[in-house]
Amino acid sequence: MDEANSLLLYLASKMKGETASGKLIFSFEEVGQEHNKLVGKKCANLGEMIRMGLPVPPGFAISIALYRKFAEESGAGEEISGYVSRLGELKGQKITLFDKLSQDIRGMIESKEIPKGISKMIASHYKELGKKVKVPDAAVSVRSAGTESRPGMFETYLNVIGVEDVLDKVRKVWSSAYTARAIAFRVNKDIPVMGDELGVAVSKMVNARSAGIAFTLDPVTADTSRIVISANWGLGEGVVSGAESVDRFVVDKKSFAILETYIGKKAKQVINKKRGVDWEEVPPKKQSVPCLSDDEIVAIAKMAMSLEKHLGEPQDMEWVIDPDFPPPHNIFLLQTRPAEAAAKKPEAVTDRMIDLITKRFYRPNG
Amino acid sequence: MPKKKQPKLKIWDKTIGSDYIEEIDLPQMHSWFFDGTHSIPPLTPLYAWHWVKYCSHGFKVACSELSIPTCKGWELRTLNGSIYCAFHIVRDPKEIAEREVKFRQALRPWLEDFDGLWASNKKELLGIYSQLKEVDVDNATNLQLCHHSRNLRRAYLRMWEIHFLGMYASNNAWLLLETMTKERFGIKDQDPEFQDMVRGFDNKIYQMDKKLWEFGKLALKMKLEDIFKKNEPQAILTKLQQSAKGKEWLKEFMGYMKTDEVGGWRMRRFSDFTEPYWLEDPATPIRLVKDNIIKGSSYNLEATRAELAQKREAAIATLLKRVPAEEKDLFRSLIRLAGKASSYSEEHNLYCELFIQALMRRGYLAMGKRLAQKGAIDAPEDVFMMKPDEIDRVLMIPEAYDMRWLTRMRRAAWEKAQNAPQPPILTDRASKEEAIKKDLLPSKDVIAIKLVVGEVPQPKPELKADLWGICGCTGEAEGTARVVMMYEDLKKVQAGDILVCPGINPAWTPVFGLVKGVITDTGGTLCHAAIIGREYGVPTIVNTQQGTKKIKSGQKVRMDATNGAIYILK
Repeated sequence: MDEANSLLLYLASKMKGETASGKLIFSFEEVGQEHNKLVGKKCANLGEMIRMGLPVPPGFAISIALYRKFAEESGAGEEISGYVSRLGELKGQKITLFDKLSQDIRGMIESKEIPKGISKMIASHYKELGKKVKVPDAAVSVRSAGTESRPGMFETYLNVIGVEDVLDKVRKVWSSAYTARAIAFRVNKDIPVMGDELGVAVSKMVNARSAGIAFTLDPVTADTSRIVISANWGLGEGVVSGAESVDRFVVDKKSFAILETYIGKKAKQVINKKRGVDWEEVPPKKQSVPCLSDDEIVAIAKMAMSLEKHLGEPQDMEWVIDPDFPPPHNIFLLQTRPAEAAAKKPEAVTDRMIDLITKRFYRPNG
Repeated sequence: MPKKKQPKLKIWDKTIGSDYIEEIDLPQMHSWFFDGTHSIPPLTPLYAWHWVKYCSHGFKVACSELSIPTCKGWELRTLNGSIYCAFHIVRDPKEIAEREVKFRQALRPWLEDFDGLWASNKKELLGIYSQLKEVDVDNATNLQLCHHSRNLRRAYLRMWEIHFLGMYASNNAWLLLETMTKERFGIKDQDPEFQDMVRGFDNKIYQMDKKLWEFGKLALKMKLEDIFKKNEPQAILTKLQQSAKGKEWLKEFMGYMKTDEVGGWRMRRFSDFTEPYWLEDPATPIRLVKDNIIKGSSYNLEATRAELAQKREAAIATLLKRVPAEEKDLFRSLIRLAGKASSYSEEHNLYCELFIQALMRRGYLAMGKRLAQKGAIDAPEDVFMMKPDEIDRVLMIPEAYDMRWLTRMRRAAWEKAQNAPQPPILTDRASKEEAIKKDLLPSKDVIAIKLVVGEVPQPKPELKADLWGICGCTGEAEGTARVVMMYEDLKKVQAGDILVCPGINPAWTPVFGLVKGVITDTGGTLCHAAIIGREYGVPTIVNTQQGTKKIKSGQKVRMDATNGAIYILK
């Protein structure tokens, strides 16, 4: 089967969720789990969380159909499919080739002006959000939302301010469907090169005191009786990137008792700059201080559990503490997805043993 | 021969880096911990010299090869024949993190293919030993003996370089399994649920035990029962020579001693050269055959071991039921590896220390004979009072030297040391607790903590026991105490006794088939006594620190090993 045919079939299978209304941007309140194919998984889950009464920062979901409209009207779609149809066999090629493909295809998207109708639509939702949160040029996060959860494949932009910047970052998220790692992933999994199209989640930026993730199973040992929370000062990117030693709390799923507390030496954190975000030193006094109170740990664990129960499988949830709100209203959830524990191959068991031996016995705080 | 004179010089008989010299060693390492596992009774100068030099090298090599994050190796010294250890602790978190990177890589092959690596190490050692075995030490020239002396030490060096690799890997797995079962299910390695999972494994020691048991059965079949039952081992040997059947049995028995890959190349005493190896004095294994015959048909080694293996599988299955599905593979692998800690602990001693030390005893005794013949020392055994460098210097022309002043002085000191106090810690820290906290625990050295220095017993006041230790093997026993300080005295042990001793080494293994219980002064849950106790299902309490002092032979004692409690009844 040639690339064009298989792409048509593949996309057709993903398009079923589209509504007939013709609406292309939705506020989070308007979507839910069933809209996965319309707005991407991340947006659909955020809507679902709001339905459940969980605290989610306000924002809107840009549908995948809007990207298609952009690709069609700007000519980027045609250009990409022409380019892709000229490519030979990609499986087994070096990563440098994927870098080149990525650069070329992302260039085709990012060099296109967003057609007026589309940019107006996005701008009006952004203005509405500004009114809602009472900040005219509200700082927002602009996140990718594909129909499949592909952690780390696509891009996210934080602390985006003003219409121009928002439009630019939306286009960049769209083009991040073609990062080298995403292309290589699709090629290896026999997914067509153009097989991922992205929705976009635009949310009000939270002023993060601390942030992190909560797993409703131990990601290393796959123990499903516990919730493991990783946390750092500042934004969640300071945890997700895995670069720093962070705090780790283990909570019992049944009793919500805090079973383990590991206070990492949190030397660096990610914080909001005037625009965008950056790494910064944590003041020495705060480095070895836990970045969550016990109450907050338990509250986060409870939210994670209600998500697991509602969605029917262990979750990997991103949360943030906003100091602008008093507890217990200071916790916000940024996304959730099915938690993946380390694979259970023999090598993985060895990995886990090595990891546990190293961490439990030889780390200074182990 | 020149006239031999005793010197009147006062001599400084200490070697820096080998003998413990307080002014030098204390400020450098701060705390030195007594190694009761290997230095009761005190060691001869020749053996101590080897131990300090090569065992310490082995630790440094293993810690470097495996890149143990928190410890670069052990430093050893000898003081009055006792061994003291100190730890090269890595304290800088940055350096620990750097070492961790290589540690993760170096540990992997041992976790993935423990048996394969150990098999290839064993093969290498057996290859080295077979060359050493071929040397005809009694007829070698002095020069050939000089070369043999060096070859023995080169082999000993290599043995120690291999020795600890498997030990660190398997003991780490043991410790991790214990940590996890403790956290999840409240099961410690002193508990029956844990111990049942890690025993009943086959290894060379048990294969040899079984072989001796079978030789006992063969003797019964050949109607030699009376000879074994009525005579002491030495006389058994003589009597066997006097009948056709006896000769036939002995021929087969000695054939096994000579042709098995280990066979009679096995020291009776684990940590010194002073006692004969099996091939040198077949009375040692003959006694074991005799013991088996006395125990009679009710004793079935195979059945006991099969029962343990069955119990083990049941215990593993019970634990796995409590483990969540996603973790079953992890626990299964961990249990398997922790089991290696048991079987490796015993088997490696056979292929490492017991074998080569038999070769060394043979070689050094041959050198001692040369020296004694020419009057350089009083008797061949006095060679154990010398150090290799001293032997090397006189071996080419022994008639030119008088070393008796040295060997006599050292022998007197060694004999005096038999009764010298052996303080548990030498330290310049404010207290023992501080010494442990600063100079032992941060090493996180699993061998130090679980085996050599041991954990501190935690008395349970409500049980009102007379003495406390760590549970090596669970169970209860009551019987007559038999205090045994050295191998020689093992023969006094009667069936049903409770053996009370400073510590155990694999050479003592067979006595576990005889006794009801074992109490030791030293060790931890991974020491020999604990491991062998578990393998034989004999209640064992280790690290009582003062068992041999508080308990007298003949007293009735009761032991509640599960709780580490010992009661002296009368």
